[in-house]
Amino acid sequence: MTTLGLDPEELGRCVQCGLCLPSCPTFRVTGDESQSPRGRIALMRAVEHEGAPLSAPVRRSFETCVQCRGCETACPSGVPFGHLMARTREVIVQSGLSTSRPVRAGYAALGRPRLVRAAVRAAALGQRLHAVPASAGLPPLPLRQAPLRRTGSDAHLFTGCVMDACQRDVHRDTVRVLAAAGFGVEPTGDRVPCCGALHAHAGLGRAARKLAAGAVRALGDGLPVLVNSAGCGAAMKEYGRLLGSDAARELAGRVFDVSEWLAPRMANLPEVRPLDLRVAVQDPCHLRHVQRVHAATRAVLAPFVRELLELDDDGLCCGAGGSYAFFERREARAIRARKLASIARSAPDVVASANPGCSMHLAAAGVPAVHPMTLVARALGAQGGARGAQGAQGRLGS
Amino acid sequence: MTAPAPDGALVRFAREVGATGPVAVEGGRTRWDTGGDPAAGTRLLRAPAGIVEHRPEEMTVRVRAGTAVDELHDELAATGQRTALPRRGGTVGGALAVGENDVCVLGRGRVRDAVLQVRYVSADGVVVTGGGPTVKNVTGYDLPRLLVGSLGTLGLLAEAILRTNPVPAVSRWFRAEGAVPFKAFDALFRPSAVLWNGCTTWVELEGHAADVEAERRALVAATAVAGGWSECDAGPVLPPYRWSLRPSELRRLHEAAPGGPGAAGGAGGPGEAGEAGGHGASIGEPSGLGELVASIGVGTVFSSRPAPPRPPSPALAALAARVKHEFDPGGRLNPGRSVDPAGSVSPR
Amino acid sequence: MRGRPVSADPLVAALCAVLGRDRVRDDAAERALLAHDASVFAGGAAGPVCFPTSTEEVRAVVRIAASHGSAVVPRGAGTGLAGGAIPLGRPVVVVTTKMNRILEVDRDDRIAWVEPGVVNLDLTKHLRPLGFHFAPDPSSQQACTIGGNVANNSGGPHCLAYGVTSQHVLALDVVLPDGEVVRLGGLDAEPPGYDLRGAFIGGEGTLGIATRIAVRITKNPPAVRTLLLAFDSIEEAATVVGRVVAAGIVPAAMEVMDRGITVAVENFVHAGYPVDAGAVLLVEVDGPEAGTALDAERIAEIGRAGGATSVRTAAGEEERALLWRGRKTAFGAVAQIAPSYYLHDTVVPRAALPQVLRAVYEIAERHGLMVVNVFHAGDGNLHPLLLFDPREPGTLARVHAAGREIVEVSLAAGGVLSGEHGVGVEKRDYMPLQFSDVDLDHQNRLRRAFDPACRANPGKVLPSGHSCADIQSLERLPAGVWA
Repeated sequence: MTTLGLDPEELGRCVQCGLCLPSCPTFRVTGDESQSPRGRIALMRAVEHEGAPLSAPVRRSFETCVQCRGCETACPSGVPFGHLMARTREVIVQSGLSTSRPVRAGYAALGRPRLVRAAVRAAALGQRLHAVPASAGLPPLPLRQAPLRRTGSDAHLFTGCVMDACQRDVHRDTVRVLAAAGFGVEPTGDRVPCCGALHAHAGLGRAARKLAAGAVRALGDGLPVLVNSAGCGAAMKEYGRLLGSDAARELAGRVFDVSEWLAPRMANLPEVRPLDLRVAVQDPCHLRHVQRVHAATRAVLAPFVRELLELDDDGLCCGAGGSYAFFERREARAIRARKLASIARSAPDVVASANPGCSMHLAAAGVPAVHPMTLVARALGAQGGARGAQGAQGRLGS
Repeated sequence: MTAPAPDGALVRFAREVGATGPVAVEGGRTRWDTGGDPAAGTRLLRAPAGIVEHRPEEMTVRVRAGTAVDELHDELAATGQRTALPRRGGTVGGALAVGENDVCVLGRGRVRDAVLQVRYVSADGVVVTGGGPTVKNVTGYDLPRLLVGSLGTLGLLAEAILRTNPVPAVSRWFRAEGAVPFKAFDALFRPSAVLWNGCTTWVELEGHAADVEAERRALVAATAVAGGWSECDAGPVLPPYRWSLRPSELRRLHEAAPGGPGAAGGAGGPGEAGEAGGHGASIGEPSGLGELVASIGVGTVFSSRPAPPRPPSPALAALAARVKHEFDPGGRLNPGRSVDPAGSVSPR
Repeated sequence: MRGRPVSADPLVAALCAVLGRDRVRDDAAERALLAHDASVFAGGAAGPVCFPTSTEEVRAVVRIAASHGSAVVPRGAGTGLAGGAIPLGRPVVVVTTKMNRILEVDRDDRIAWVEPGVVNLDLTKHLRPLGFHFAPDPSSQQACTIGGNVANNSGGPHCLAYGVTSQHVLALDVVLPDGEVVRLGGLDAEPPGYDLRGAFIGGEGTLGIATRIAVRITKNPPAVRTLLLAFDSIEEAATVVGRVVAAGIVPAAMEVMDRGITVAVENFVHAGYPVDAGAVLLVEVDGPEAGTALDAERIAEIGRAGGATSVRTAAGEEERALLWRGRKTAFGAVAQIAPSYYLHDTVVPRAALPQVLRAVYEIAERHGLMVVNVFHAGDGNLHPLLLFDPREPGTLARVHAAGREIVEVSLAAGGVLSGEHGVGVEKRDYMPLQFSDVDLDHQNRLRRAFDPACRANPGKVLPSGHSCADIQSLERLPAGVWA
């Protein structure tokens, strides 16, 4: 009989009120209790307290969770769902009931930046040669990327794994915006190959902790760590809980989403003519529901675009979910369809998304998704006569 | 602990009803032939009368079925309150059994929404309580709503607790010739009535004085009629028959009316307006509504001609028959009367 | 059931033949989940779980269940608090969440046709650009479905002025327990015949399954004022509620929360609720501008005269929304105090509120239980939440004993058993406290007319000795349900 080893107090906090249901993307698209936070918690309890087996349907219920944590902001009881689910996933993996060997190898590669970059280049080449079918769901990938240079020592800029390989332009735009505000940054580059977020979501707890520990060691100099990927930032802010060490807590305390850090320093940025764009803000779940700093995105963007638009779906997940869009393709697309409908209703010129996973998932469906930093950089660049920043997907204004 | 037992008057009424023989209750006879006359040989009784308890601070009144509606309204008015029951004579029991709404239903509410509790004498001669005394209640099945409009065919009403409402500070009627009544209705937030007879539109506005004045200005601005709006004492005299239409069907009626957007020429007599009423698809193929007053936003049309019967679907008729059979297996309550299919025909 | 091929159970096989295998679930996990709703009742046991998407499919499921001698229980979002959707005796569970389309909005008729699985708040959001809303707003409105609202004749804070669900439903397409489909009510002014629409609403799934619902849409008020009044005691707050109504004002909503619940709520929403007050009164008035301002002023005056220590008016829509979010998530927020709660839903005359509230606190204290109160004060609808830890042995018995006393006190004050949550399975055995045998027999006659064979949600609403309650026993979770 499997037990999940969950904190009984945390597990007991759910009173089954069901207020989480509409904020759960999988419940929204299936209407199925077993695909809801309340249902998943009930199944965790059944496994933990009633001896229910980790049967295929029970595992399926856990595996279809995007781990967006939208249920946490909806929950008046304060159930720490993300932690319960991460722990549950880890036990499933440890029990040998999930995650095939090739998948594990894939995750292991994320800690090896050169391997990631090589894979992305191969895929990009495949796209140019039309060898990668559109059904693969990949956005256009860059073939070649110039290295990022250090511009100062006010803060670290966390560059990450997939994002650095796919969207280094966003890093470049971020560096440019920070420079305009008078701050120089040190890109973390290969010193911190990966934050471990995807591993933690997949139940690969040991790998996640190893990567986190590496980051804590590499970034021990007390400088702020700026992150422009919402998923990475959320994971790094939770290092304290993940590793339980003082050093981890100390690092977590100086991790900031780049907009969160910039918002109180906006006076440093020059006043420029706003871009003539109507921009819908898509809140990455880990920015809105985990870091809860999504207001900063608006504060940073507002002076630089003609109009900011809110989506009408109360921050419901887009279905990207890190690697979720790859492994649960059907669910991810069904969830994305709701987001696309919401975007269509607000009819923006572009969609601003502060998370590479979200923007790639949306771009793969034809949405002109750009990072907020890219928009700010473009507004600043256009004013200064420099080259206008290009979106990661290169669709700006097209 | 169950609700207070029925008082002596109700018990006596139940004894009179007894358990055998055809029986019906006579009120003010203002709607006596609704649903057909009771069969010959039916014993006629009167329900007990009297206002048992008016609790202004709870906004409820417990009243016996034989009480005159006018008496009830007078009692309520003394404390600045009113109910949804239409003030057109008759008894409380009769008004509930027929279930017609007041012509100003938008302001006063629907009759069936005002009934909190009913006490009726069943076919086997016992007093039954449905619903409860409080302004909000979902305990058990909604027998009060079932009884309202059932013409005494499921049980004979003896007493009811009704919801009351404060009388608004100000009530004013306005009328105008040639106004598009739908524009008036759409421009207003919560009119108590918008009535139209083919050429004249009447509007009742209620509430705080300042709000009524603001609404009046909105009305004038939205309709822009040549003669303007003038204040009047009351709404129109209503033709005797009630047709039940969808509010949207009235719009089609208006479009086809003489003087309406679909017709050339000026305002015609109201008598002709009905000839275009054949659009009311849900009411079959009426030969016409004749002289009419239509309640905009509600769908009731008061007409000089009776509405055609609207037979229910076989499945619905079967369900209704099962309900009747459960409550009155011997068919002794108001025999000869039926809520179907002539329910929409009620001579005034 | 696990591991057995689908075809082994002829009922499941027949259901799969109509809905396909992916919309019929018969695994132990799914059935265990659907044995619960948001109440604490733990004796449910679900049979096969179906996800139909049309009236025709619901009709087919109902007919198949009938032909296999199985009962049927409809379920929406499972946010009910009285166990109305809890399956007893392994019936077929018909989940309506996939029937979630808003089919039509007609501004001339001021109605919307919706499927039963449409979420209450989703409809209101859909109507917002048109300037309308769906008036019933139960606290669970962000999650609960319109079908569930119909089943329970749901209320909500704003039904004080606007009325409960029955006032906002004009017509329904219903699959009767024998598989016949009927349209109850109509869009016209006064549909002929018995008001079977009114009789059906609040039937808690025992009269059939609504598959299409025509709801009234209500114009959004031009002006809204939301006031938050603080008091030293809950009795003072309750007394002011009575005085407001006695003054001839009918606010859109009047809600009271005691200190215990206010602290928990504030901890979640950070709306600036005064956590040091003995109780808070949230009042909303709406309508045309001038009268709304006038009413708000008079309420503030009545409040101050009644001992309000502070009166705050929400500055804008954001503050108003935050205050309401606090009120509407109150039940969930109590989990910060104790892991479980049991609540009653009695209604008492407004004048009796202070006295009944005192009794409620006294009862809880005598049973060694913590109680917090958050309720629809405007219509006297109490929601005393008894807080407890189910892991403590013997607690549940004390909770039930205290609950029964609260019901008795409420009824003795001239009240009723349920204001908006319904009877379900939680309160059905209290029914004889409010109704005589004859009254209950007549309610059963209505039920029998709709469901002569006791196929629809058996074991609910009416107590044993009446109707279908007899054929069901309420056992603990059957042993080996996971095997």
